[in-house]
Amino acid sequence: MKHVFQHPPETPSPTGRKYWRTMGELNDTPEFRSWLEREFPKGIDELEADGLSRRNFLQLMGGSLALAGFGMSGCRRPEAYLVPFAKSAEWTIPGHNLLYATSMPRRNGALPLIVTTTDGRPIKNEGNPLHPVSNGGTDTYAQASMLELYDPERSRTFLLAGKPSDAAAFADGMTKLRAEAQADGGAGLAVLMGESMSPSRERMRAELQKQFPKMTWCVYEALSNDNEREATKAAFGTAAMKVTAKFAKADVILALDSDFLCVEEGGMAASRDFAARRRIAVSTDAMNRLYAVENRYTITGGMADHRLRCPASQIGAVTVALAKAIADATNSGPLTDMLSTVPATEVQKLEKSLPWITEAAKDLVANRGKSLVVVGANQPGWVHALGFAINGALGNFGTTLTAIPTAAPAEVPLAALVEKMKAGAVKTLFIFGGNPAYNAPTDLNWPEQQKKVSTVVRHGLFEDETSVGAKWHLPAAHYLESWGDDRSSDGTYVAVQPMILPLHGGVSELEVLAALAGRDKIEGPQLVKETFQGIARNVSDEAMAWNTFLREGFLANSAAAEATATFNPGGAKSYLQANFKSAPVPTADAMEVVLTPDYSVWDGRYTNNGWLQELADPITKLTWDNAALMSPATAKKLGIKILEEEIRDGQGTGLNGDWIEIVVGDRKVKAAVLVDPGHVDNSVSLSLGYGREVVGRIGLYTGFNAYPLRSSGALYFVSGAKVSKLADEPHVFSTTQQHYNMEGRALVRELPLETYREHPGFGEDGRSFVQKFGMDSHIPPSVSIYKHPPLDAKQQWGMAIDLNTCTGCSACVVACQNENNIPIVGKEQVRRGRIMQWIRMDRYYSSATPQDEDPQVMMQPVTCHHCENAPCETVCPVNATVHNEEGLNVMAYNRCIGTRYCANNCPYKVRRFNYFDYNLRPLDQLRWGPLAKKGMAETLQLSKNPNVTVRMRGVMEKCTFCVQRIEEAKIAQLRVARDSNNTKVPTDRIKTACQQVCPSEAIIFGDIADPNSTVSKLKKRDLNYTMLDYLNIQPRVSYLARLRNPNPKMPGAAAVGMSTLKDSPGH
Amino acid sequence: MANIFPKWSNQLPIQLLVAGSVVFVSLIAGMWYYFTPKYTRVGYQPVQPVNFSHSIHAGQLGLDCRYCHSQVENAAHSNVPTSQTCMNCHSQIKQNSPLLAPVRESYKTGQPIAWVRIHQAPDYVYFNHSAHVNRGVSCVECHGQINNMPVVWHHEPQSMSWCLDCHREPENKLRPLNQITNLNWKPEDEPPGPDGKPRTRREIGQELKVAWNVNPPVTCAGCHR
Repeated sequence: MKHVFQHPPETPSPTGRKYWRTMGELNDTPEFRSWLEREFPKGIDELEADGLSRRNFLQLMGGSLALAGFGMSGCRRPEAYLVPFAKSAEWTIPGHNLLYATSMPRRNGALPLIVTTTDGRPIKNEGNPLHPVSNGGTDTYAQASMLELYDPERSRTFLLAGKPSDAAAFADGMTKLRAEAQADGGAGLAVLMGESMSPSRERMRAELQKQFPKMTWCVYEALSNDNEREATKAAFGTAAMKVTAKFAKADVILALDSDFLCVEEGGMAASRDFAARRRIAVSTDAMNRLYAVENRYTITGGMADHRLRCPASQIGAVTVALAKAIADATNSGPLTDMLSTVPATEVQKLEKSLPWITEAAKDLVANRGKSLVVVGANQPGWVHALGFAINGALGNFGTTLTAIPTAAPAEVPLAALVEKMKAGAVKTLFIFGGNPAYNAPTDLNWPEQQKKVSTVVRHGLFEDETSVGAKWHLPAAHYLESWGDDRSSDGTYVAVQPMILPLHGGVSELEVLAALAGRDKIEGPQLVKETFQGIARNVSDEAMAWNTFLREGFLANSAAAEATATFNPGGAKSYLQANFKSAPVPTADAMEVVLTPDYSVWDGRYTNNGWLQELADPITKLTWDNAALMSPATAKKLGIKILEEEIRDGQGTGLNGDWIEIVVGDRKVKAAVLVDPGHVDNSVSLSLGYGREVVGRIGLYTGFNAYPLRSSGALYFVSGAKVSKLADEPHVFSTTQQHYNMEGRALVRELPLETYREHPGFGEDGRSFVQKFGMDSHIPPSVSIYKHPPLDAKQQWGMAIDLNTCTGCSACVVACQNENNIPIVGKEQVRRGRIMQWIRMDRYYSSATPQDEDPQVMMQPVTCHHCENAPCETVCPVNATVHNEEGLNVMAYNRCIGTRYCANNCPYKVRRFNYFDYNLRPLDQLRWGPLAKKGMAETLQLSKNPNVTVRMRGVMEKCTFCVQRIEEAKIAQLRVARDSNNTKVPTDRIKTACQQVCPSEAIIFGDIADPNSTVSKLKKRDLNYTMLDYLNIQPRVSYLARLRNPNPKMPGAAAVGMSTLKDSPGH
Repeated sequence: MANIFPKWSNQLPIQLLVAGSVVFVSLIAGMWYYFTPKYTRVGYQPVQPVNFSHSIHAGQLGLDCRYCHSQVENAAHSNVPTSQTCMNCHSQIKQNSPLLAPVRESYKTGQPIAWVRIHQAPDYVYFNHSAHVNRGVSCVECHGQINNMPVVWHHEPQSMSWCLDCHREPENKLRPLNQITNLNWKPEDEPPGPDGKPRTRREIGQELKVAWNVNPPVTCAGCHR
């Protein structure tokens, strides 16, 4: 008789407070029930809608087999060749990885990297742990830039007026352009670039400035820190300075629309330092507290102990209210003086939020000198100025806020360049990177202005909107292909060195600038070396210094000395007075539209990156799209369905998104709505970077372009928008939030710090407070009826994930994808639940009642748990998944026949099946069978990790704990051991890809049989728990429960972190 | 009524049965033999672009394997020497031999020599040379007496069960580390045991296995990733 394991029923929660992942789950709709009961989403295993039934598939296959038999080609042994170098290459050992230090140039300072290269091709980026502001972590963009390098759709040729040309022709063209520019002293010459702190670039600029004194040098980023910079200039009297927050020293942090835990915005140090103060070793340790004010959920808001939903346009008002409260409490003269310029009505707009702000202010004041107020880059300059004044009043300068000197900006803003273009004064325009034709503010009307310039020279990785109509298009060399340099966020001088020759003959920015400056073609690092010699003075051995620089990737002790930030109250006051602008409170008739950076594509520069497109947004879990996000209440008002609806076309579980039209003045944008719990009312968030028109196949037709709503005056949020629902057929979203539901059994656990302090340690039964949450409080564990092979190796692998520091940034997901050759599957396949990523980042909301509009967010990365009593192994008919002696649940791909029984029997739903040959077929031809183009693009073949099998159709796969890294480390130890018995891999030597990338060090892997390993120590903590413990499957992955640190005086403090606790009848 | 079946047909079922069994058994036996690496791989001896003789270099001249396969102790892959390595000696010895023309050509032009691959593990097998030669497994165990081969042929089946034979009982194949590249090594060359009698291969191996803690993987992840 078939035995079905009946999970004990979920205990009804006494408070009704529970965890949920979707609106459907929250409301327990029939659709959600059917998802749960189906175990896998509808459509995941159905071929019908694929236009190919099981039967005619077999017919076809039979036919092709018979045909294949005629040739008998399978009987000949194919001849293979071993092709050694003709001349030995230094450092090269065939098949051996070589690591090089470099860095990824980024807007806020370069990210130091160590790149793994194998046989001359880079395959993986890791952070550089030697660098002072890195802990060896990176982020999604740094990981995915590896795919960017190998993108088969990168620009490959020089184009002259759209027709293929070559470098030699451009060199001739350049000579002419130079002659022209010299004739008028550079009056007709303009250069437009992205933001960078590269000293070599600055040197080239100075050189050009000397040759062409009238040249226009413009720097533009769609998402910039210009507002903050302007405020810095006013408040500190100098533009050559950057204020840096030191999260390591802050006990209480208030984030005003600041997503500082997103590495692109806050930098690596912010994530690392914040996590360090979040992590506690024993219950009595102090922990920082985070307040967040924002209009939509960001990962920073998700980490917050207290979060205030507030329209982005009203965050200025919140800052004013906060400043008032702090000025009163601290008797700060400058702050009071500044506030005198702000009308009193500003604070009155807030009414309901005032108690929240007042209490938060009190907490900040109580922690003077150890507090920190950070303002987001998208807030106007006057909010930043006020933020500086608040930090000044709190005595934070010199402790939690320091300043470093930067180069004084020498550029003009984009608007000034456009003025010149309008006047016809620009004859030659060089555009490096960026994409102004797509992302310049609409009022500048860039595409039209660009046409007025007779010679536009466009230098870019891709042929995009800006390349259209440009006279010259030059293929750019990727940063992994070119020499360069940069500074990291703390001012440390870092190297950018090529890992591979340009794949498509691209040229670097520096090379083009050098050519413009009339230099001969630069060879290799020559230009950078010159800069280096200028910076690294007084070294005894120059060659040695240069080699060390390249070897370590940075110049030691070159960080900028901390500058003294002297707050200039007068300057700040007059700046505030001149720039203060009260924004109207958004209403249903005049909503605000917030234009946000996108976690996947940032400002649109990564739109053609498949890994990022398929990476679910950390909050909305949306893939391959952006969406107009709004609160359930606002959606209801607009008549938009707020519950997810299963798409009833047999194609899986997409979400219907009703269309809306956003009208601001004469500008209109159409977008589909995704209801976003925790969003503020009467506000719509639309992320930038989607809806591009000239882009590769990956990025084409994804999402909605929000840039048309952007104007110079309102770059980040627009007030007074009219939003109306359209009657169009709903847009179908592919989200991963409803994939693999597990009904609430205290899978995620959290508790307030105070509660934890009341119940530290382990009880008489050997279990801690946290280990008795949910079902584990009263259900005896099951007993295994199977015999399991002994786990008798000396080293036993396990993992602990600290939910307390995990922000949900999803860098681990991309790192895993890169390390393990995981393919992307495309939007339509995601919708069917066939996403292949081995790590699933679960995002849970928790709320007191379904009506609660302020849910809290929790993140939980879930990967294969390598259960000791693995349920997947017992059902495999061919022993394709078995245990090894070190406790790994291993997958032998070659044995797998694709029954998918293992995936059915996996309680964590972490197994992934190759429904199609995702690696070999173009995503739009998956169903063409033998007619589809077969084979991987050549460049993508170069990107694969040679130590991991590339899986084919019909094979099950899942997280391996990076078995290739484990084996590599074991073999490395054997090489050391030789004829000794020292075969044990040193403690904490092995890092999995997800662990290595994590900016907040939330994932720890290691030997659980070694009492000295970090993971063993973590697993002995009283916060450690395993998911679904009562099943007695003994998972090797455990979690450390999340702690929240609420301020008991705050409104709503009683509910913070109480969700799972209240669901636990044992307590 | 006349007999429908002639008398000889009485024997037919038995004859058919016997003939059937013979065909069946030979089919199985044929597949057993001809479809396994023992037949398909062993003896494979392709013609190489350069008529290089291991028996002259490694046998008569006594060059150590690691002179040319220099990274075998450091890497998974045992590298094939570059043309430059050949020219280290052949720029002085046999400078004008027509047999070496392809090597000189390669050295001059930088175009590598495409040696025909003999031993090839499938793509899903991650064999590591360094893990073996550093731990007492000699070249000869997998490649045969290369030092006696004028032209290299595939000597061992190198099938999965063949790998596992040794992974399960490594004591049969271990030898002291200083004898790894001595393909002529015999257990008798080792000093005798405490009782004065020469030790057997297995005894030596067993001793090394315990002393070095040799514990080869026998589960999937050891070789498949």
